[in-house]
Amino acid sequence: MSDQTPIEKIKYGLLKTIDVSGFKVFDPVVRLFFGEEPRKQLGDISRYMIAPIIFVCCCMLFWNFIAPRHKTKSGEVPTPKQVWNALVTNDTLDERENEKESDFQLSDEQREDTIATVTALVAEREKKSEELKAELAEIEAQCKKEQGEALEPLNQALAQLKAENKKLRESRAAESAKISKAIAAKEADPEKLLEYLRNDSEMTLAEKDSEKELKDKIKKIRDEEPKRLKAAQLASSQVANEVQHLKKRLDYLSTGNRSQKVAQAEESATKALGSLSSADSPAAILAAAKSVVKSEQRASKISEQEYPRAATIWFQVWRSLFTVFVGFVLAAAIAIPVGIMCGLNRIAMACLTPIISVFKPVSPVVWLLIFQIIVGAFFPNPDTHPLFVFLNGLPWIGALNVNPALIFSACTVAMCAVWPALVNTALGVSSVEKDHLNVAKVLRLGLWSRLTKIIIPSSLPLVFAGLRISLGVGWMVLIAAEALSSSDGLGKFVWDEYQNGSSHSFANILLACFVIGIIGFFLDRFMIVLQRSVSFDDGAATV
Amino acid sequence: MAQDELDLEKDSLKFGFIKLTDCAPIVIAKEKGFFETEGLQVEVIAQPNWKQLLDNVINGELDGAHMLSGQPIAATIGFGTKAHIVTAYTLDLNGNGITVSNDVWEQMVENEPALDTETPQHPISAASLKPVVQEKLDAGEKLQMGMVFPVSTHNYEIRYWLATSGIHPGMYTSEDIKGFTDAEVELSVTPPPQMPSALESGTISGYCVGEPWNQQAVAKSIGVPVTTNYDIWKNNPEKVFGVTKAWADENPNTHVAVVKALIRAGKWLDATDESGKLINREEACRILAKPNYVGADYEVIKNSMTGFFYFQKSDKREMPDFNVFFKYQCSYPWYSDGVWFLTQMRRWGQIPEAKPKEWYDETAKKVYLPDVYKDAASRLLKDGWIAKSDVPWDTDGYRPPTKDFIDGIEYDGKKPIEYLNSHTIGNKD
Amino acid sequence: MNFFREEAMTAVNALEVVQANVGFGRPSNRTEVLADINLQVEKNEFVAIIGFSGSGKSTLMNLLAGIQPLDSGEVLMNGQQVTGPGPERGILFQNYSLLPWLSVYGNIELAVKQVFPQKNTAERKEYIQRYIDMVSVTGSEWKKPSELSGGMRQRLSLARTLSMQPEVLLLDEPLSALDALTRANLQDEIIRIWEVDRRTVVMITNDVDEAVLMADRIVALTPGPKATLGRSFDVTLDRPRDRTTLNFNPEFIELRNEVTKYMIAINKEAKELRVSNEISLPDLMPIDFNQPQRLPRRPDVATINQNTELVSTGAGNE
Repeated sequence: MSDQTPIEKIKYGLLKTIDVSGFKVFDPVVRLFFGEEPRKQLGDISRYMIAPIIFVCCCMLFWNFIAPRHKTKSGEVPTPKQVWNALVTNDTLDERENEKESDFQLSDEQREDTIATVTALVAEREKKSEELKAELAEIEAQCKKEQGEALEPLNQALAQLKAENKKLRESRAAESAKISKAIAAKEADPEKLLEYLRNDSEMTLAEKDSEKELKDKIKKIRDEEPKRLKAAQLASSQVANEVQHLKKRLDYLSTGNRSQKVAQAEESATKALGSLSSADSPAAILAAAKSVVKSEQRASKISEQEYPRAATIWFQVWRSLFTVFVGFVLAAAIAIPVGIMCGLNRIAMACLTPIISVFKPVSPVVWLLIFQIIVGAFFPNPDTHPLFVFLNGLPWIGALNVNPALIFSACTVAMCAVWPALVNTALGVSSVEKDHLNVAKVLRLGLWSRLTKIIIPSSLPLVFAGLRISLGVGWMVLIAAEALSSSDGLGKFVWDEYQNGSSHSFANILLACFVIGIIGFFLDRFMIVLQRSVSFDDGAATV
Repeated sequence: MAQDELDLEKDSLKFGFIKLTDCAPIVIAKEKGFFETEGLQVEVIAQPNWKQLLDNVINGELDGAHMLSGQPIAATIGFGTKAHIVTAYTLDLNGNGITVSNDVWEQMVENEPALDTETPQHPISAASLKPVVQEKLDAGEKLQMGMVFPVSTHNYEIRYWLATSGIHPGMYTSEDIKGFTDAEVELSVTPPPQMPSALESGTISGYCVGEPWNQQAVAKSIGVPVTTNYDIWKNNPEKVFGVTKAWADENPNTHVAVVKALIRAGKWLDATDESGKLINREEACRILAKPNYVGADYEVIKNSMTGFFYFQKSDKREMPDFNVFFKYQCSYPWYSDGVWFLTQMRRWGQIPEAKPKEWYDETAKKVYLPDVYKDAASRLLKDGWIAKSDVPWDTDGYRPPTKDFIDGIEYDGKKPIEYLNSHTIGNKD
Repeated sequence: MNFFREEAMTAVNALEVVQANVGFGRPSNRTEVLADINLQVEKNEFVAIIGFSGSGKSTLMNLLAGIQPLDSGEVLMNGQQVTGPGPERGILFQNYSLLPWLSVYGNIELAVKQVFPQKNTAERKEYIQRYIDMVSVTGSEWKKPSELSGGMRQRLSLARTLSMQPEVLLLDEPLSALDALTRANLQDEIIRIWEVDRRTVVMITNDVDEAVLMADRIVALTPGPKATLGRSFDVTLDRPRDRTTLNFNPEFIELRNEVTKYMIAINKEAKELRVSNEISLPDLMPIDFNQPQRLPRRPDVATINQNTELVSTGAGNE
C-alpha cells in the first residue's frame, strides 16, 4: 500500500474525500483527470452526470413552458427567470443595506466624497425616473384608450341589448296585463295566462343570459393587463425605488450619519458647558450641569450606535441556520443520554415508550404554541434578561438578534428532532453486538468503561444516523415554526412574502423553496460526513 | 433641539405592525427619520396576526405596536387576553372596506337592479344581500363572511352594516366566544392576507378588511368591494398605537417622544398643497411597498392611499378621506372613540352584563391618554412643527354628537346607554 | 455416561464441569441444548472438543467461559466455582470479537489496561508490542480491524486474549472461518506459542485433523439437542508434530480414522434416536409455481469433505 506515487496519493485522497462527502458522482471526473480508463469514465460521466443534468434542464424547460400558461387569480406562476430575478432583487436589497450601513459609519472626507457621488447619481436617476414616469403615463393612457376602443362597441352593444330586452319585457308585461284583463272579463281561459307567464320567465332568463355573456366579454377585456404596461410599471418602479434608496443614503450620509450625530451631540454639550459657566442662580447651574452630563452621555451612546439593518434574505438564512443549530444541539443533548438510558435499561425504555409514542406524532405547530407560552414565562423582560444580554453581546451571534422567539423556535425544533435521535440511540445501544458485550464481560469492565469503551462507540453509527434524520426533521420544522412565530429566518421570509401578496411574492416564495432545499441538502451532506467519520464499517450502511 | 428637553428612559425600541397600509405613521416616522430626531432607534417588525402582536407587546418582546382600536380596550377589560394596554395616539381614520365575492355580487345586482351599472349609487346597504342570506338559510346553510379579529373595527363595522339592513350577524355569549349565536351570517376570523385567497376558494363569501386587501380583490377580479367604512360611519377611528400601561409608566418621556414622532409622521402623510392634493402619499406608498413593510405592489397600495378607491375595475372613485392620518384632529385619543367601541362590545355581547353609564367613561379614561398626546403636541407646537388648530387643546375628550352613520342614528359618547338602546338588533340595557 | 478416568477425579483439575445442563426457551417450548456434561481438564492440558455444527459447541464454550449460566450442575476452576466470565479464562471467539472502532493496538490496549491497571504507560506500550510481535501482526498496529485479513484478525484476537495472561485458554472454533492455508498457518502459530508458554487449553473444533494435530486429548460432543460429551481419545503423538510428515504417520492416520468413524456413528445414532420420538411425515412438498423449483433437501446426509470436516444439518442451538 505504501508504494503509491505522490500523484496516486493525491488521487486516492481526492477520491476518498469525494466518497466520504457523498459526492460520488464526481468520482469518474477525478479518475478521468488522472487518466484512468478514460473510456469507462466518460461513459460513467455521461450516464451519471450528463444525463441528470439534461433531465434537470428538461424540467426547467418544462417549468418555463408551463408557468406562464398556468394562470391563477392570485397571479401567474413565475418562470425560472423570474425566480432568478427574485434572487437578484433580494441580493440587491442586501447590497443596499450594506451601502447604507457603510454610509452610516462613514466620516470626514470620505463622507463628503460619497455625498458628492450619491448626489450626482440621484440627479441622474431622478431624471431617468421622470422620463420613465412620463413614458408610463403615456403607455397607460394609450392602453386605456385601446381598451376603451375595444370596449366601446361592446358597451354600446350591451346598452342596446339592455334597452331591447327592457322593451321586450315591457311589451310582454303589457301583453300579460291584457290577458289578465281578458280573463277578468271571462273572455279567456286563466290557463292561457299561466302559460304566457311561464313562457315569459323563460324568455327573461334567456335575455339575461345574453346580457351576461356580453358582460363577461367586457370583464375579460378589463381583466387583461397589457404586457407593455406591466413592463413599463416595473421599469419605472425599479428606478423609483433606486432613487428612493439613494435619497435614503443621502440621509445616512448627512443628518443620519453617526459621526454627524456625534458631532451634534458634542456641540450641544459644549453649548451646555458655556451656559453652565454663564449661569448664576443655583437652579440654573444645576440645570445646566445636568444638561452637560446628559449631552455627554448622549454623545458617547451615539458613538456606539449600530446601523439598524433591515432583515434581508441572507440574514434570514444565517438566523435560520443558527436557530436550527441551537435546536439540534438541544435535541442531541436530550436524545443521546436518554437514548442510552433506554437502550441499557428495559425499565427506562418501558417508562419512556408511552411518552415517546404519544408525543412523537404531535405536529410542530402545537409544540410551537406550547413553547411560546412556556418560554415566554421565563423571560418576562427579554431586553434585560441576562441570557439575551449575554448572547447579543457575542460577536457573530449578537448580530442575529437573539430573542425569545428564537428560543422557542429552537425548542420546537428540538422537540420534533429529538425523537429520531432518541429512538436510534436506544436502538444502537440495545443492539450492540453480543460478541462485543462478551468481550466486556470477559474483561470484567465496569459500567462506565463498558459504556464509554464498548457501548457508545459501537452505537455511534446508529446515533449519527438518527442525528442526521433529526437535523433533516429540524430544518423542516424550523421553517414552519418561524413562519408561525414570526421569528426572523427563512420561514418568516416565506410568510412575509405570502402576506405581502405583491406580484413578486410568488417568485420570492419559490426562491425560498430553492434556498431552503439547497441548505437542507448541504446540512444532510454535512451529517453524512460526520456519520461516515464515526462509522467503522467504511460507511457501507449509509446512503 | 427637541431632544434636549426629554430625558429618554429607553432609546432603542421595537414596534410591531401588521401588513396593512394604516401602519403608515409608524413606518414613516422611522423611514423619514422622525424617530431619529427624537433620539430614538426604532426597529419596526411585521407580526403574523393581531393575537401574536398583542402577546408580543404584553410579554415585552415589543415596546409598542400598531393596534386595532378595540384591542387596548378589550385587553384592559379582559375580553380575550387580559392586560392593561393604553394608547395616546390614534393612527388613522377609515381605511376599511367590505368586499363580497363575484357570485354574491351578481345575486345582489339581481336583487337590486339599481346596482346594475358601472357606477352604482353609494352607500350600498346590505338590503340587497338579505335575499342571498335568506336563500342560504332556506337551504339550511349560513352565509360565511370573514373579519380580522373579534375586537377589530372590521367586526363591528360589518356587524353594523348587516344589522342596519336587518341581517343578524350573531351574538357573543359567555359560552359562544365565536359570536355565532342567533347568527344569520356567520363571521369568522381570517387573517387579512388570507382574505382574498379564502374568498377565491369559496371558504367565505365576503369580508371586511383594511387595505390593500380590498383593492387586491379588485386587481385580481375575485370580488367586489360594496362599501367602505367611510360610508358606514364617516371618519371612524381605525387603528391606534398601543403600549402596555406598565411600559407607559416606566417610560413616560420616551412615550412622549414616540408620540411626537408619530404626530409628525401623521402630519407628513396628510400634507397637501394649495389645491388640496396629498403631496407625500406617493413617496409613502413607495416606502410601504418595500417587502419588509406592507410589501404589496406599489400600484395596489397607491390605489387607496392617494385618495382613490376602485370598487370595480371600471369604477374608480375619488375618496380623499379614505385614509385620514392627521386631518380632523383625528390622531388625538378621543374618549368618545373608546366609548363607541365599548358600546359595540356590549351590543354584540362581548361584554356579557349591563354596565352603568359611568363605567364607559371610566374605562375609556383608563385606556386613552390624551395628556401624553397634549404634552407631545405642545412641544411640537413650540418648535413650530404643527399648527395650533391641529390639536383640540380644550376638549373634554368627547367629540360632538354625530349622525354620520349609514343608518343615521345619532351617537353621543356621553350617552352610551341611550345609544345602545337605539339599535334594533343587539343587546339593550 | 461417565467415560472418564476415576483417578483424575482425586486431583484438582484446572477446569472441571460437573453434570451441567443448559436449555433455551420458555418451559412450553424448551430446547435442551446440553445435557449431563462432565469434563475434567488437567493443568496445561490441551483438550480438543470435536462436534458437529449446531451441536451446542459454542454454548459449551460459553459455559466454560462463564458467559452462559447453567440450568443445573457446576463449572469449577482450580476447584473454585465459576460464577461469571473473567480474564483468567481467556476466550478466543470464533468471529474474532474485535472492536471495529479501535486499532490493532487499541484492541489490545483495552484488555491490558483493564487486566493490568498497575502498568505505567511505557511498560504497557512495551507489553502490548510484545504481543503484537508474538502473533506477527507487527507493522499493522494502527490499522482498524476492517483493514485486516481474516487471518490477521484472528491473530490479533489471539494476541488480545493472550495479553490477559489467562490461566485457561478457551478457543471457540478459532480457525473455522479461515481458508485452509491461513488455517494451517495459524494452527502452527498457536501450537508454537503454546509450546513456549504452556497453559491449559480447551479448543472447540469441527476439524478432526486439526484436533489430532494440536490436542493432547480429543473429546467428542454428540449431536444436539441434548448434546453430551462422548468418547475421549488420547493423542499420544510426539511433539512437536510436523504436519508434513504427519500425513504419513500410521498412528496419526489410525487415530484420525477412528475419531471420524466414531463421529459418523454417533451422528447416525442421534438420527435414529430422533426419528424414534418423531412422527415421520411423507417427504412431500407442495410445488409452489411462483418459486424457482427446488428439490427438498434430505436432512440426514452427513458428509466428509476433503478436509475431513464434519458437516451435519442436524437441528440444535448454537
